[in-house]
Amino acid sequence: MKSFFKGCVAGGLMAAAIPGFAFAQATVKLGQIEAQTGPNAIYGYMSSQGVPIAVDEINKSGGFKVGDTTYKFELIALDTRGDPKEATIQLKKLLEQDKARFVFGPFLSNVFVTIFPYAQQFNGKFLMMGGGTRIHDFVGKPGNDFVIRTWNWDAGPKGFGEKMVDYLIKTAHPKKVAMLFQNDSGGKVLGDIYEPIFKARGIETMTEYFEPGTKDFSPVLAKIGEFHPDYLFPGYSDAALYDIVRQSVEGNYSKKFFLVRGSTGPGLKNKDGLEDYIVYVPKDFEEAEKKEPKVKHFIDAYKAFYKRDFPYDQAPLCSSSCYDHVYMLVAAMQKAGTVEDVGKIRAALLSMTYQGMWKISFDDHAEQVFDFDIVHLKKGGAKEVVHVEP
Amino acid sequence: MTQVVVGQILNGIILGSLYGIIALGVTMTFGITGIVNFALGQFMMIGAYATWYFTDLAMLPFPVAVVLAVVLAAVAGLIADQALFRFTRNNLVNGLLVSIGLISVMESGALLLFTTTPKNMDIVIAGSWSLGAITLPRMKVVAFLLLVAVIGLTWLGLSRAWLGRATRAYAQNPEAAMLMGVPTKLLQTGVVVYSCALAGFGGALYASLFSLEPSLGGLFILKGVEAAILAGVGNLLGALAGGVILGVTESVGSLYLPSAFRDAYGLVFLVAILLFRPAGLFGSQK
Amino acid sequence: MKTLLFLIPLYLLPLAVQSDVVLTILIFTFVLGILAIGFNIVFGGAGQLTMFHAAAFGIGSYVTFLSMLRFAIPFWLGFLVAVVIVIIVSIVIGWICFKFRLKEFYFAVVTLAFAELCRLVVLNWTSVTNGTLGMLVLEKPTIWIPGGGVVRIEQTVPWYFLTLICLTGVLIFSVLLTRSWIGRNFSAIRLNEDLAQTLGINTFRYKLLAFTISNVIAAFAGALYGFYTGYIEPSYLAVAQSLDAIAMVLLGGVSTILGPVVGALVLTSLPHLIELPAEMRVAVYGMILILVILLMRRGIVGLAAGLLKGRVNAA
Repeated sequence: MKSFFKGCVAGGLMAAAIPGFAFAQATVKLGQIEAQTGPNAIYGYMSSQGVPIAVDEINKSGGFKVGDTTYKFELIALDTRGDPKEATIQLKKLLEQDKARFVFGPFLSNVFVTIFPYAQQFNGKFLMMGGGTRIHDFVGKPGNDFVIRTWNWDAGPKGFGEKMVDYLIKTAHPKKVAMLFQNDSGGKVLGDIYEPIFKARGIETMTEYFEPGTKDFSPVLAKIGEFHPDYLFPGYSDAALYDIVRQSVEGNYSKKFFLVRGSTGPGLKNKDGLEDYIVYVPKDFEEAEKKEPKVKHFIDAYKAFYKRDFPYDQAPLCSSSCYDHVYMLVAAMQKAGTVEDVGKIRAALLSMTYQGMWKISFDDHAEQVFDFDIVHLKKGGAKEVVHVEP
Repeated sequence: MTQVVVGQILNGIILGSLYGIIALGVTMTFGITGIVNFALGQFMMIGAYATWYFTDLAMLPFPVAVVLAVVLAAVAGLIADQALFRFTRNNLVNGLLVSIGLISVMESGALLLFTTTPKNMDIVIAGSWSLGAITLPRMKVVAFLLLVAVIGLTWLGLSRAWLGRATRAYAQNPEAAMLMGVPTKLLQTGVVVYSCALAGFGGALYASLFSLEPSLGGLFILKGVEAAILAGVGNLLGALAGGVILGVTESVGSLYLPSAFRDAYGLVFLVAILLFRPAGLFGSQK
Repeated sequence: MKTLLFLIPLYLLPLAVQSDVVLTILIFTFVLGILAIGFNIVFGGAGQLTMFHAAAFGIGSYVTFLSMLRFAIPFWLGFLVAVVIVIIVSIVIGWICFKFRLKEFYFAVVTLAFAELCRLVVLNWTSVTNGTLGMLVLEKPTIWIPGGGVVRIEQTVPWYFLTLICLTGVLIFSVLLTRSWIGRNFSAIRLNEDLAQTLGINTFRYKLLAFTISNVIAAFAGALYGFYTGYIEPSYLAVAQSLDAIAMVLLGGVSTILGPVVGALVLTSLPHLIELPAEMRVAVYGMILILVILLMRRGIVGLAAGLLKGRVNAA
């Protein structure tokens, strides 16, 4: 006991001798590469908003303890602007100059594909947690241990897409569904995933694509109108969805909508004209704020940190590489007992279930599974929220 | 099927009027100041965001918001003219490059203020009119009538009012006009400001129909330039016609060919016109 | 030629600098510099404002890669196929434009239209180009080194030297071209096309030549860029890419030899030197463009040359 006491005093004296520090302080560098600005920033923007809040909270409360050491986070958030070239340079900076071991992002598939060959060289030395759709093709394969996908996948046994379609069939019994997706990687992937899901359930489908940046959907909606679908299934970001839903309602092409990307916003704006609106949201923040304390805490923290109103319809995107994930990473590091052994931390991460705003776990392919809400809007704005746990 | 085609023709005409007002701005600027102001799309964006702001956030009635938005766009145009375009008169290449620089600055400004999240104005006039199987949203029809009215009034002003005639005289023969006492500098500035106001007005109506993003200027200026060249740069009513032709081609074409090629029609038209009838469909050969 | 001496320190740089980040930025600078030089030949040389070089850039990368895939040939042969295609395309488009005597601005608009059409084709010809998903380029260029056999260029340092050597080659070519009678004819056309015509210069042929050369060089840059980043997508052919190159040339100095490279260096490294909120970066970029046009017509190199001359004269 005495020697222990002496050891503490000696340690304390030594630590005090280091100028500027009252006690041992270490930092863990956390990198983030997302498109904060630029035409494709919708997805990267919210992730880059959520992480600083978590980092700030953790640091202000004194940091987090792993083993005997208390650590603080140093966040290095870089804006890729959606440019793969920028992202390459930024990732190099994070890995070589800053020696970050944890990188959140990217959400954009084309960015990920470009940085992948370089990132792969660092397999085993860092963890990349991104939400991009294309990551699905790489994750869980040998040699790709460094990458983890932080968004759930539509298809497969725990796929949320299957559950969405099941719900649609249960409540509406549609015979024909028209799909309208953006003509880019995200849209094409959606077509590839959902056509088989509908066909397997005996529903007739038609798929049309529109150019990114389209505002006037009249011609393509007219084509869809000729098909007389029961439901219109448009994707994928609110940018286009507002216009599609409004024009579809106004032009009388289809007044029933089914969505797996986007928010409740387009439905609410057109609530008097539409007849049905079923949408997958990682979380309906307006409802959750009233019932879930963790959600309320996050919303209040957001407002205090950024001094502006909370973007209720963008927030659900924060389910990817955002607030919860910072805390989950901390929990994983604590479970693994290290902030440096990336392999152990990964194993801890993949084996745990974390309850933050979402209940997050991972499947065999290092792809995330989390609970979600189905928001069902009826004509006039009556809202029903169904909670689903895969 | 014919009803669908007719529906798309009507839609194309309405969309075309929006292209047309930008084309009008392009054509006027080119005729009087000798440059193509590629940044007109940005003034349209200013008009659109301002209208959204005044209607949704400041809770002003829509017409008031539109007027304020147009004034704002005009003032911005004045500043741009005095600071930049004044130095690039008749220098097409420099004017083009300065416009591009201006686009970057203005688009970033919008990004900073409004973020990339699209904004949607509350619907001003809801509902649609139906003619058989053809449904036309009321707001679209109202916007169309307003645009045509403004374009028509502009044309009228330019052919009847003294200032208008002076402008046309200058366009035809700058030196003679100067000798006749036409205040050229004032005229050039005036035209730049007016074309920015037109773009702002187009933006205001755009805001009542579609979602807003900082990048909306880029698409419309390209269409505006295409329409202006299609009609013949310098021809004012032709600008409207050019816009309508473009709009109708796109809408009807998208029924039959993949919508992925929607933007190609305008480009093909452009190339064809410039090669075979460089003065444009309605222009007169020099 | 003396201006090329400025390149020597760049060859020695890897000995002093270990940072991969700096070398990467320079690699991008060299490749985009090649693109900019190509543009400068047709714009600063022959005075034709073209918006097609991004399309040539993209075609260069796509065709080189696809040829390597389909015909199992090495990089340089694949690039040769790209050259042939770009030459054909340039002649067709150039013939159309120049035969119809399109003047400056309209030429720019038509080349823009064609470039956009090329982009739409690449975007939608999914069976060949994989459309919007782009293509992963896992092949690399190979070089035969005496004593080392055939070497794949994969690491940063080899890429650095490869791109630097290519840049040097293109620079030497542009110097020789400018000094030759071809280059002098280009200048004549740029300064006063009608006068050049009356002097007996076949403006049509020379404009076509300038346009073609510029596009071939742009294709070269595209091939290198695509293989270096390892990923090619339709946005390579977008207007924004053309505008970037134009900005580089203007900033560096139109009609100068090193101007495009200087411009490329400044614009590529700027985002990494100045830590600004992202939205501000684009604004700064735009303001630079405006300031250059209004105040610094001759660009950085022109300004520097002017200052030097002034000093010499004053002394």
